[in-house]
Amino acid sequence: MGRRISHLLPRFAWSACWAIALLLASGFATEAADVSLHQQIDLHIVAKTPEFDKIAAPLAADDEFLRRVSLDLTGTIPTREQARQFLEGADPDKRQKLIEQLLASPEYARHMQQTFDVILMRRLAAKNVSAAEWQTFLQKSFAENKPYNQLVAEILSADGTDPTNRGPARFYLDRNGETNAITQDIARVFLGRNLECAQCHDHPEVDDYLQSHYYGISAFLVRSYNFKDPKLKKVVFAEKAVGEVKFKSVFVESKKDNTTPPRVIDGKPFPDPEIKKADLYVVKPAKNVRPVPKYSRRGLIDEAIGSAENRRFARTAANRFWAILMGRGLVHPIDFDHSANPPSHPELLDLLTDEFIAHKFDVKWLLRELTLSNTYQRSSRREPAAIAATTDVPESAFAQAIMKPLSPTQMAAAVLQATGEADVQRKTLGDKLTEAALHQRLNRLSNIIIKLFADPASELPGDFDSRVNQVLFLSNDPTSAGLVNQRAGNLVDRAAKLSADNSAAVADELFLSAFSRRPTEEETKEVEQFLTGLTDKKRIEALQELTWAFITSAEFRFNH
Amino acid sequence: MKCQYACNSAEHVSRRSFLQGAGGALGTLGFGGMVHAQAAKELERKQKQVVVFWLSGGVSQLETWDPKPNTDNGGPFNTIETSAPGVHICELLPHTAKQMHHLALVRGVNTKENNHGKGAYIMQTGHRQTPGFNFPYLGSAFSSLLNPPDSPLPGYICVGGGGSAKEASFLGPRHVPLTLAEGKPPSNLNRHKTLSAEGDLRRRRIRKSLSDRFARGRRQAETEVYNSSFDQAANLMGRKDIFDFSTFSDAEVAKYGKHPFGRQCLMARKLVESGVTFTKVTHSNYDSHSENFNFHIEQLGEFDKPFATFVSDIYDRGLLEHTLIIVMCEFGRTPRINQRLGRDHWGSAWSVALGGAGVQGGAVSGKTNANGTKVIDREVNGGHLFHTYYRAVGLDPTEPFYFRDRPFAKATEGTEPIKEILV
Repeated sequence: MGRRISHLLPRFAWSACWAIALLLASGFATEAADVSLHQQIDLHIVAKTPEFDKIAAPLAADDEFLRRVSLDLTGTIPTREQARQFLEGADPDKRQKLIEQLLASPEYARHMQQTFDVILMRRLAAKNVSAAEWQTFLQKSFAENKPYNQLVAEILSADGTDPTNRGPARFYLDRNGETNAITQDIARVFLGRNLECAQCHDHPEVDDYLQSHYYGISAFLVRSYNFKDPKLKKVVFAEKAVGEVKFKSVFVESKKDNTTPPRVIDGKPFPDPEIKKADLYVVKPAKNVRPVPKYSRRGLIDEAIGSAENRRFARTAANRFWAILMGRGLVHPIDFDHSANPPSHPELLDLLTDEFIAHKFDVKWLLRELTLSNTYQRSSRREPAAIAATTDVPESAFAQAIMKPLSPTQMAAAVLQATGEADVQRKTLGDKLTEAALHQRLNRLSNIIIKLFADPASELPGDFDSRVNQVLFLSNDPTSAGLVNQRAGNLVDRAAKLSADNSAAVADELFLSAFSRRPTEEETKEVEQFLTGLTDKKRIEALQELTWAFITSAEFRFNH
Repeated sequence: MKCQYACNSAEHVSRRSFLQGAGGALGTLGFGGMVHAQAAKELERKQKQVVVFWLSGGVSQLETWDPKPNTDNGGPFNTIETSAPGVHICELLPHTAKQMHHLALVRGVNTKENNHGKGAYIMQTGHRQTPGFNFPYLGSAFSSLLNPPDSPLPGYICVGGGGSAKEASFLGPRHVPLTLAEGKPPSNLNRHKTLSAEGDLRRRRIRKSLSDRFARGRRQAETEVYNSSFDQAANLMGRKDIFDFSTFSDAEVAKYGKHPFGRQCLMARKLVESGVTFTKVTHSNYDSHSENFNFHIEQLGEFDKPFATFVSDIYDRGLLEHTLIIVMCEFGRTPRINQRLGRDHWGSAWSVALGGAGVQGGAVSGKTNANGTKVIDREVNGGHLFHTYYRAVGLDPTEPFYFRDRPFAKATEGTEPIKEILV
């Protein structure tokens, strides 16, 4: 569902007109053209920054695009064969087709599950709901492209009493049902507001972050608590019919507590209906009994947060998906959405929000549009001369792709793919090869790598850190040494079996496997020199050294 | 913490110019130790070092540096004379008493903070917590200011636990503490047995060449952080000798005590001898809400001898002159003895001990009233203490840190160093 160009015109200054003209010149009919979201994104980005074409990096080449979109949509790099095929393909629509193919793959659902696992659960230990139940719920939801608001509503309305579907209840239950922990994460993840400070007082630096906002959200949850169900023998979420939030600022001397009915930020309040004391419960509280109130405050929260009326929810989601792909939010940081920290492109964020709502929170549609945009497909590299001329282009101009450090799961998957460990396991599986079977086989090794890189935990790129223990692990740990050992079908083995006279083929093999691209002449020469005169064991050792250098290089560490 | 692109922090500038002056590509490959041996020695000679003994949970000032015997709050212990004329401390510290001529006492500390986390923050950053922002911890700050930029050694090591990546804040990953958990050296310090030294050098050279080529035309702040961590790792591997704690003689082990804290003090001595800029030794746990007195007999019984031995060994080796020693914690303990014979959290009248570099041994600043309930002379807070630490190692605490072009005070503004205990 696109918009007519004429709707766009008033939003732009004249500086945008050339871009529109370009668009029209490139084959769009003037009158009836529906402009799809990805084209509108580019118009907004171009229009915002003066002389954008002079400072912008060129569009990424096929190889750069392939690696980036594979990591972003499936959490791993392509196999050597996939890379070769894509790079050799002559189809002018091959990028679009690749995006479709990746979005339809089981790897997409796995990657989204892993991404949202960290966003929603911050690597908290699984305690009351098993990690498997939770992950299955997320994975299935993304596989069937469940509308994002529905996914969130299922999480916010889950209480864990359905033994066949306890996964979504993990959000509450593994925060121990603790009102403050839940309030903070609902505000952070679904409302784009880090309200932690507002637990004790209005935010000292952010005028819009009020203590009453914090407690308005808390008020939905204040009556709820974790309850060990004696029949299920499992922890479930329970709720009382009474209980109010109480708060006063630690900065203000006051004897009187404030309170508020449930309310999402400045949205409409939900006062309790009048209920006679005798009628408060459907199931009355008693020892070892999970009470059920007649009027459930918590029962209101999924609608209050996730409905289309709460634009803030759609806006936060749109901004988050944007940040995941572009490496930086339009509102940045993504949980500081307030009036003193406006978006870099306010109209664009409004547009994304409107369109995400209009498309019924269709996640694949949004990701497709974002990845189809030139803004996403720009190179992370500019010619050095262009850089010298325009030194200070801020990241927020989105004129050059922002490099994103691989997440711990991406790092694990990429290392196992590049070194050929994944190829070895594919071969072993033979006919039984499925995404799930391969995942299972690589699980032990990937967990070691994930654990290493998940410390310290962080949700999104933006606070890149490289720790000495990680480097020491990659350099010296027996696990890492094992990955570059020659094993039938892995990278070192494949390279070793190529003719020693044909170092160019070896370079090709290495670059396609690890970087998803072909080497430049300079690089081929470097590999040639490295291998010159080496035979047998010495040659194998050199190939191991090369493989190690590839997977530890900066080009590998970042999604660029 | 992400470093700003094209940031011209003092460190970057000095580090680059240092490398340009003294080394070539080999230096940046992590063999700085060899190339810059002479320069490093020169720096090392002048270099100040710091050791913090962190008595986690909050040691009682009344059972250590500011005893009040024979008062309602005094408790059962007496005072003893020390090697510093006129200075008396609690009888639970007989060995430390013999080193008091090396140590100064600050008895007028009032941080007005009785919460463990917030107190620890004040004492280790010199600031009250502000939402949404982290000041660098003392160890990370001194690592960035005192550790020579090309030093092969980590600037900040925590012995016996503690230490989080957050402590470095905007100073960056180079100044994150390296924690020797359970007194063990970091893992993976040895080259894998299947790899030769030449092979390791070769592969790192190729790694660097690939990475440098990649960085051309791209934003480089993050690739630099990544590449520098490989240099750090190589440096650490080159100096793994400093983590070899297997060579202490039986006599030395006996002198320090065989318990973990004794061993950690011995390790700290070795780290200071090796030139490590900032070492933090944690001794847990002093949070004596009940049975305060038995608790302190036991805890200080463990602390006293190895700590005193450490001070005396550092002095004997001629290192005390440039090594600042600080004994601190998040707060003191309530003068009033509670019903469980415990003492609770007390941030409003307590003590810190320090000695060595820049500090006048035997000096005492501040005074509490007769039964220790409040400071009656020379009241100081975390800000004063930080100004004092900076001055003691010859740094100017009024020169702020800069992060994203904004100045951040090194210690709470409006406070001053405690001059009477500085030389």
